[in-house]
Amino acid sequence: MNGENKQLTISNPFLPEPARIVRTYYLTEDVKFFQVRVVDMDKALSFKYCPGQFAMISVVGAGEAPFSISSTPSRPGLLEFCIRKVGGVTNALFRMKENDLIGIRGPYGNGFPVERMRDKDILIVVGGLGTAPLRSVLLYCLDNRDQFRRVSLLHGAKRPSEMIFREEFFALKEREDLECHLAVDGDDTGTWTENIGVVTTLFPKLKEIDPSSTYALVCGPPVMYKFVIKEFVKLNIPKDQILMTLERRMKCGVGKCGHCAIDYIYTCLDGPVFTYWDVIHMRELI
Amino acid sequence: MRIIKLKKDNLFPFLEIISEEADLWAPVKKGDKHAFTIIDDLSKIELETTRTIIPPKKIFTPPTFSMFSISDKGYKEDFSHITKKILFGIHPCDIHGLLTLDSFFKQAYLDPYYLEARKNTLILGLSCWPDEYCFAKSTHTHVIEEGFDLFFTDLKDFFLVWIGSSQGDDLIRLKPELFDEGLKDQDIQTYINWQAERDNAYKWNIKFIALPDLMELKYRDPLWEKLGDACLACGSCSNVCPTCNCYNIMDKQFLGGKDGKIIRHWDACTLEEYSEVAGGENFRKKRSDRLKLWYTHKLQAYISKYGKPSCVGCGRCIATCPVDINVRTVGQALLGEKPDAFWARFNKEVTK
Amino acid sequence: MTKNNNNKLKIGIYELTGCAGDALLILDCEKELVDIFQAADIQSFLMAKSDNIDGELDIALVEGSVSTEKEKKEILDIRKRAKTVVAIGICACFGGIQAAFLDEKEWEANFKEVYGNIKMKHTKPVQSKPIDEYIKVDYYLPGCPIDKEQFLSTLNRILRGNPPELYRFSVCVECKWNENDCLLNKDIPCLGPITRAGCGSICINHNLPCVGCWGPVEEANIASEFQLLREKGFDHDFIKKKMANFSGTGMADFFGKLKGEKG
Ligand SMILES: Cc1cc2nc3c(=O)[nH]c(=O)nc-3n(C[C@H](O)[C@H](O)[C@H](O)COP(=O)(O)OP(=O)(O)OC[C@H]3O[C@@H](n4cnc5c(N)ncnc54)[C@H](O)[C@@H]3O)c2cc1C
Ligand code: SF4
Ligand code: SF4
Ligand code: SF4
Ligand code: SF4
Ligand code: FES
Repeated sequence: MNGENKQLTISNPFLPEPARIVRTYYLTEDVKFFQVRVVDMDKALSFKYCPGQFAMISVVGAGEAPFSISSTPSRPGLLEFCIRKVGGVTNALFRMKENDLIGIRGPYGNGFPVERMRDKDILIVVGGLGTAPLRSVLLYCLDNRDQFRRVSLLHGAKRPSEMIFREEFFALKEREDLECHLAVDGDDTGTWTENIGVVTTLFPKLKEIDPSSTYALVCGPPVMYKFVIKEFVKLNIPKDQILMTLERRMKCGVGKCGHCAIDYIYTCLDGPVFTYWDVIHMRELI
Repeated sequence: MRIIKLKKDNLFPFLEIISEEADLWAPVKKGDKHAFTIIDDLSKIELETTRTIIPPKKIFTPPTFSMFSISDKGYKEDFSHITKKILFGIHPCDIHGLLTLDSFFKQAYLDPYYLEARKNTLILGLSCWPDEYCFAKSTHTHVIEEGFDLFFTDLKDFFLVWIGSSQGDDLIRLKPELFDEGLKDQDIQTYINWQAERDNAYKWNIKFIALPDLMELKYRDPLWEKLGDACLACGSCSNVCPTCNCYNIMDKQFLGGKDGKIIRHWDACTLEEYSEVAGGENFRKKRSDRLKLWYTHKLQAYISKYGKPSCVGCGRCIATCPVDINVRTVGQALLGEKPDAFWARFNKEVTK
Repeated sequence: MTKNNNNKLKIGIYELTGCAGDALLILDCEKELVDIFQAADIQSFLMAKSDNIDGELDIALVEGSVSTEKEKKEILDIRKRAKTVVAIGICACFGGIQAAFLDEKEWEANFKEVYGNIKMKHTKPVQSKPIDEYIKVDYYLPGCPIDKEQFLSTLNRILRGNPPELYRFSVCVECKWNENDCLLNKDIPCLGPITRAGCGSICINHNLPCVGCWGPVEEANIASEFQLLREKGFDHDFIKKKMANFSGTGMADFFGKLKGEKG
């Protein structure tokens, strides 16, 4: 049999789909916002994802890397990402302009259990780039506002200039149906009107919550988890209602390359969203 | 399953005929060891081998191969490394190894590269005789009931041939006169005797049933630091293990507008880069942590997911690791025995 | 990166102390050389052309180690002019065979042994060192000589602004990919476990042990390799010499600390 012109019977999960950068701009000094559209219209519309899932983005010649989808499935067609410049792929992405082509495949991972979260109170705590996946849930909750009870957001950044989606969050603060508190570790501008301090200092500002029917979500830099989870536990939120997304090295996103393995868990399939209960019961998780 | 008989002298004529259907691969000598290679001269085939240096996984997922060719126009799938093959001489433990790989490469998403290669390769198993490293009886992978198209049990003067699939049957039909349909009572007795003798030939065994719990209980045992001090992080254990499936990806581009390639190559969790993420953060910076993952995978994790260990008892890690870190020594140490391994003698002062 | 009027990146290729094997290899890329000259504006390449310009550069490829005062100045000058400096070949990356002597004293003694008490007229020799002893190096492309395919794909990635992708594991990995029977297990002193991959385990493929010519791998477990070779009956000096051959100054650290080795 001739190897080259063989008809393949199964679809190739590694094959990226061409997508066009519709809009891109800086969110902070080293984080850029990307809005992309899968070129094939049918595929663009059938790209069905849930908040907390991620996609593999590739640039020909530079490589491929996983990124959380930060748009909401309630606004189909366009996919949004916030990406920090750290290495090969991300540098290549930063060089790209509107209308340039990238590769995308996904969505992958388990995502947040939005079905279970329905008719519950939602408490979201984010820091830094953790905004990427949690913005998706937040927008999803707001777009389907009647399906959720109280929605609260605590958002921390190092400095005002490093607060991702700063304007968007300031606008959200005005909404009556959302409790939103913002904080920066330090204010080097002298114009910051919100709280100063790490994100955990925002907890006392929260209106009283009903722990047994609250889902608490956290995502941010690794150091943040320990302290935020401590606060959740103090509030008596059940361990399996505390949700977090974890980062691991990922090369395939589809449970094949092994890089994201923790014990027998594949972060790309069984994660990246885990409950605090999972974390206690698995070595190595955080 | 239908079982027929093949006279010893008829094996090569049979292989000759089927090698016209597809590339025939079988074990041949490589130095003092063996390796699966494409066969152009049947006399080079070694029937009395134990393990090959690397397992037959190399045929289904080669050490390095191109997944896509890339140009400025985008990606083009590349399946050029996949050809129709017949793999002869694969032992029960290695067939079990392939069945384990199947479960990895089929979980959640199908890996088209692995599965295409699998679909295009017929498996002709061959019985074996254990040496001082084999312990497949402990993992119950010394016998095989599925996963082959034909299986040959070597009973000195003749083979008993199990027909495991209709494709296997098609091969037999190419020259049915080489085979005997009717088995005599004596043939059956010969097989029973062979089986008993072979079962007794295993020189050592390991209590696998105890290991998952011991992995958990001794997760913080100082043993692991000792292993980590000695481990060369050479990755050989993963490369030679028939059930290690990990790989990495590289974009290769060339000058002058030539098409580039997306290369997929074997990787190993014992290597430093394996768990490194952006910013230089590494979830398993320490060699001891990486060895814990390796042994969790071999001795514990697969059992809790699929009910059997992912170690198939082939003995390759025992034959390969230069510093004696392998399923035998680690298993013994977990069971509280004192192995006289390299790392047990490792001179601490050298590391200071 | 700034581009000149042709919109091509400016490249300079420099040879310090070494055998010029890497520059030769670049010249040997005949067909591809045309591509290189097409893709980039080669401003300086002593071995290939004479009209060399010593101006601002986008990329400087530097081969060889620094072993004279003049070269020390030269390398500092290159760094000043180039946006990206790539060390190519084992000599530039790790010092190579010229840097094999472990400390200054040993080097002096050896220099005297070879050359007597002669005074060098043109330039004062200094101990041969990898270029990153003097300047910041952006990328490393080890090898002795470098591998052609790796050179071309690396250069191509750098030209497109992507960092090169090199193997970060040891020769053993490639050695297993090539299904070699491990020489260490046959008591042959192979340095594969502590040597960076990239050569395709070419020596072992020919049944020769790895001598370490691609330099040490990031996570080289020298202690374990050392003890293993001791156990196999090789003596301290033999191992030290073997290890120091190509890995240059990097190995000195280990042997400096190895005071407490027991017989
Ligand atoms: C589920 C998930 C979701 C994520 N979501 C986001 C998101 O929304 N936004 C975001 O910005 N990031 C996200 N990340 C992280 C993102 O995937 C990484 O930042 C990305 O992989 C970096 O790729 P890169 O090629 O740019 O960096 P790399 O080139 O891979 O390197 C990053 C760093 O690693 C080291 N390194 C790696 N390889 C080498 C090498 N060969 N040589 C030398 N050094 C090396 C270097 O220190 C380098 O600076 C997510 C990760 C996961 C797992
Ligand atoms: S355990 Fe042995 S074979 Fe595996 S990486 Fe360590 S030294 Fe190499
Ligand atoms: S762990 Fe060792 S003995 Fe078990 S299957 Fe892998 S290489 Fe063979
Ligand atoms: S043991 Fe390591 S290399 Fe092998 S499959 Fe598991 S993670 Fe991959
Ligand atoms: S022969 Fe050398 S390079 Fe190959 S595996 Fe053994 S030690 Fe490593
Ligand atoms: S990213 Fe490859 S297995 Fe999870």
